[in-house]
Amino acid sequence: MTRKPSLLLIFSLVLPAAAIAEAGQPAVAATPPLELKILSSASLNGTAGDFVTVDARITNVGPSPISGVATYLSLIDMENKQPVDLEDWSAERGAYIPAIDAGQTVPLSWKVHFVVPGSYSLVVVAFTPGCEVPQVSTITHFDVKPKQNLNPGQVLPVAIGMPVALALLLLLVGAGRRRKKAK
Amino acid sequence: MFATVWLKELKAHLFTWKGLVWLVLAALLFSLTCYLLLTDAELTLLDHTEMLWLLSMIIIGTAFLIVTIDASSLITSEFEKETAESLFLSPLPLGQFILGKLLASLTLWFTILLIATPYIIVTAAGTGLAPAFLGYVALLGTLGIFAIIMIIFGISLLFRSIKSTLTTSLVVLLAFTVPALFSSTLKNNPAAQFFAKVNPVDNIFSSLDNVLVDFQRSISQNWQFIWPLLVFLGVAFGFMLLAVKRFRRRGVVRGD
Repeated sequence: MTRKPSLLLIFSLVLPAAAIAEAGQPAVAATPPLELKILSSASLNGTAGDFVTVDARITNVGPSPISGVATYLSLIDMENKQPVDLEDWSAERGAYIPAIDAGQTVPLSWKVHFVVPGSYSLVVVAFTPGCEVPQVSTITHFDVKPKQNLNPGQVLPVAIGMPVALALLLLLVGAGRRRKKAK
Repeated sequence: MFATVWLKELKAHLFTWKGLVWLVLAALLFSLTCYLLLTDAELTLLDHTEMLWLLSMIIIGTAFLIVTIDASSLITSEFEKETAESLFLSPLPLGQFILGKLLASLTLWFTILLIATPYIIVTAAGTGLAPAFLGYVALLGTLGIFAIIMIIFGISLLFRSIKSTLTTSLVVLLAFTVPALFSSTLKNNPAAQFFAKVNPVDNIFSSLDNVLVDFQRSISQNWQFIWPLLVFLGVAFGFMLLAVKRFRRRGVVRGD
């Protein structure tokens, strides 16, 4: 004959287990213990049409591993004071890091295409689930010079020459017809 | 006999200042398009082959529009100027008359192609695609435009009015061109896919994409786009024949 476990015994086993499980969850922090740094600050200046690589690193300076970190680029046009839609600038706007151990540094990299000339400010933002405030790198400023080529692909002789040649032909035909009518 | 009609049309339409203005405008459009596309390609905002495909669509689209407007008046102008009766009473067979007019329209298309050739060569420089670009624009454009001209001539013989023929022809052209510009995501349902298969303009653009962007340059690799064009050409010829029969039955002067 077996004895059924008493309710008191069950609660005495379940409650400490729940307390242990809760103790394992990280506490909700205001700011994640992450350090973000853009490494290629000095080499970002360029000309419209250039492709550059933005290198950055993210370090977990806290005591515990952090999981599910999402990082992304944020770009501001300083002349128009507007955020830039990165659709044409970068195909890889976000980078997801599944986990960073305590003390670990993870490299980050984005390929950016300079589309419009101007002055810009760039930051990298890291968003951690459970944290109320995202982590932001220091601002990197850079300039994109305009690319000025009045004759791309040597097209100007054709682009100007063809309509001019046809217009001359038009004038010749018109003149020829007027002469015929006069006769 | 058709040669007489053909040469008469060339002198009356193409080698006049009105006819040449069309060609100047086409050249200006090609110049602007090439300049803008090459500027974008230099900024690497546009892949070079995508740029060639866009230019090919502009060339074909411009030619379709100009030829449609011109062909709409080739036959109907004879009715409007009241020269049709004397023309058809002459020993000139109707078939020869239509052939002469058809060749005049096709000459306009080949003139536009000749004007577009330097633009094709300069924009395709460095890609090795200039011969394929020119060859396929010539082949596909000729098939498509030949078919459209026959449809317009059929409409001309049915309506006998420039205004009605031009309006109907432009609507037909729009009906073929607009769906061809839809992206592939808008062609997901069976009806859109069927129409894309039979639409001559869609087949022309898809074949040019296949040649210029995907580097599939042989005829066999583009046969899936060419055979629907040949079928469409046959349908257009059939439509024109039916219109000719109806025109003969009704007479030059209606009720005659």
